[in-house]
Amino acid sequence: MAISPVSATTPPAAPWYAGMRGFLKGEADTWLFVLRTTLAFFLTGWLAMRFQLPQPGTAMMTTVIVMHRQSGMVLAKAFYRVLGTLIGAAGALLIVALFPQQREPFLVLMALWIAGCTAGATLHRNFKSYAFVLAGYTAAIVALPVIASHPGQIFDSAVARISEVLLGLLVTAVISDTLFPVRLRDTLRAAVANQYAEFLGFIRGALLGEVPREKMEQAHLRVVRDAVTLEDLRSSVIFEDPEARARSAHLQRFNQRFMAASTTFQSLHHLINRLLRQADPSTGQALQALYQPLGQAIQSGEVSPEQLAAKIHPVRKGLPARIALLREGIGGGANVEDFDVGAELLRRFVKEIEQYVHARGQLTQQVAPSQEDARAHFVRGNDYAGAFVAFARTAITMLVLGAFWAASGWAMAANVMLLATIFSGLFATVPNAARMTGKLAGGYFIGLVAGYVCDYWVLARMDGYALLVAGLLPFFLLGPYMVSRPKLSIFGLGYTMGLVNILAISSLHSFDPTRFFNEGTSHMLAMGAAVVSFALMPPLVGTAWLRRRQMAGLRAQVRSAAQAPLRGLQHRFESTNSDLLHQIVAHTAPGSDESREQLAWALAVNETGRALIHLRQDVAHEPASTPLHAHVDAVVLALSDFFASPSVDGWQRAERALEAAMDLARTQCGQAPVAGRVLLHLGLVRLALVDDRSVMAPYIVPSDSSAEETVDAH
Amino acid sequence: MPIEIAFAGTLFPGLLLLFVLVCVLLWALDSVAGRRGWYRHVWHPALFRTAIFVCLFGGFGLLLF
Repeated sequence: MAISPVSATTPPAAPWYAGMRGFLKGEADTWLFVLRTTLAFFLTGWLAMRFQLPQPGTAMMTTVIVMHRQSGMVLAKAFYRVLGTLIGAAGALLIVALFPQQREPFLVLMALWIAGCTAGATLHRNFKSYAFVLAGYTAAIVALPVIASHPGQIFDSAVARISEVLLGLLVTAVISDTLFPVRLRDTLRAAVANQYAEFLGFIRGALLGEVPREKMEQAHLRVVRDAVTLEDLRSSVIFEDPEARARSAHLQRFNQRFMAASTTFQSLHHLINRLLRQADPSTGQALQALYQPLGQAIQSGEVSPEQLAAKIHPVRKGLPARIALLREGIGGGANVEDFDVGAELLRRFVKEIEQYVHARGQLTQQVAPSQEDARAHFVRGNDYAGAFVAFARTAITMLVLGAFWAASGWAMAANVMLLATIFSGLFATVPNAARMTGKLAGGYFIGLVAGYVCDYWVLARMDGYALLVAGLLPFFLLGPYMVSRPKLSIFGLGYTMGLVNILAISSLHSFDPTRFFNEGTSHMLAMGAAVVSFALMPPLVGTAWLRRRQMAGLRAQVRSAAQAPLRGLQHRFESTNSDLLHQIVAHTAPGSDESREQLAWALAVNETGRALIHLRQDVAHEPASTPLHAHVDAVVLALSDFFASPSVDGWQRAERALEAAMDLARTQCGQAPVAGRVLLHLGLVRLALVDDRSVMAPYIVPSDSSAEETVDAH
Repeated sequence: MPIEIAFAGTLFPGLLLLFVLVCVLLWALDSVAGRRGWYRHVWHPALFRTAIFVCLFGGFGLLLF
């Protein structure tokens, strides 16, 4: 052998420049971002002055606020910012038109408007929430500067503000989309490919052997995270890429099938594990045998989705024959019933995985013209308590500041109110808002200092726009560079805002130290007000109280599965669950007991809710006999009660109702085929309910009939 | 086409109207091109779209003056 043992054991020493490449790549991305931001900033300023807009500073500020590394994010943010600005300006016109001369009602109405918008922002994710924030503070930006002295100029003020903001957005959008753009589309593509590969890999791994419950729960967490991430990305990418927009419905369907398939897979897996733990594991083994062909089809390494779908298709076709064959080998009525439940679940899973793989294949092809089914909208789970707190906090802050303005008569107090609005809106949806605002305030203060240095030591000696750019550039560059560093981003944003805001660049630059200190003081007061308001009434996001509420909301989803209108219910149910769980686990330490319990509940809710939905669908298609219908209703009611407030009593009631309904369904099996299917769904619900390894364990009372099933196999 | 349009007693620039119109036009064009995958044949789709916008907006703008 030619290979020497030394070179076989230790890899050749990396050349000194090996890490350099990665470092330079990262730095290049950062500096391109800085370049885009700076270019957009100064170009906007120049254009605003050419167009003789009254406050070029506002337009320049806009570019700072919407800047982002990825162009899709900028475009999405810009789109919603346009919406928010227009609505906010209309709101300001309305409010001023109602109370042009009375200050007190004006301030109250203004506070309510802003608070309402902030509350709306907490009810939305992504940039939709941003549109709400904007609608709130644009009203303040438009109305507050003119209301005290000349309310008649409100219309001009609105038009000027809109023009400035739109100009800033337009320039930023064009520059970030055309000049060395970083495409969000690539991120989305990677996310889809990753989700697909991970999910198939997980199924593959699970088919090989038993997956412990914790791993299953972790997998569920990953599924939820992937589903929510994909939806978030999708909602932004559509602004960047026309092709992605044309595909948007496909993507939604892909995500929907992903969630459906993973829920079924988990139900199936828990069921088999449970049956294997019984004293007589033959049913579980039979189901495992039934599994085999699918496992082999998926096992086959790296193939394209089309090829994989073609392999799964014959498996699905051959399933009924295989079920019949294996069913004969099982003795005992109860075992056959369990086997039927598992076989039904497996049948559904095979169908869903085929659809999922097929949807993945469609994503790589040309956009197919088919629009056969309605769009699968991802529904978010919201909690109104958070919105209420945001409303109260903003309204109180605004009223206190408004009262301060009215009492003190300080001209700059309007400024305080304005900036406080901006910050309490921007951070209303963030956990730890007080700390974030504090950081921002720190950055803002440094920005003010830099603004002073820049203004009175540098700019005072300069004349003309080119020299303004030259003088401002060294101070400005720091801002976007800090923003692109994750640790410094908030600080950097504060710095840039402070610098740009205090300079208030306009065609006729005034060097007036009195104004400078007056404004600087008012800005810092506004930051302080925002910090204090966030500290006194912190956003509920991430608090244990809200988590408990959201958990209760998640469990109450079973009620919606039991009672809500059926149309599109399954996807609504699954996406709401995912969104809720995503919000809940985002703020618990991963791997803690609490997080494990949350995941376990989420799984139980998913399993039971889905079974209930399928049960209702079957009964709706083909009405069952009246007594059976009544029994099914009783089961649904008992289950939704149990999930709303879990207790031993509730568990017993649900179990008794289930037993009764199943007994009745068994007797009717021969007469009506629907009774057989109802029996399958009920069986699935019951198996999940009596699973002593699940979150149900503390509520389970071993009765006579379930005693043999709760016996552990070991 | 008038340079300024009076609406409810205020004058709106005709260019603004054209701007909105061209935006809608581009949106329609985008959805067709996206569905058919036309932008796959373009080196820099975003730049191309911007250029189309400038051409359309400039062309329509000439109607005003």
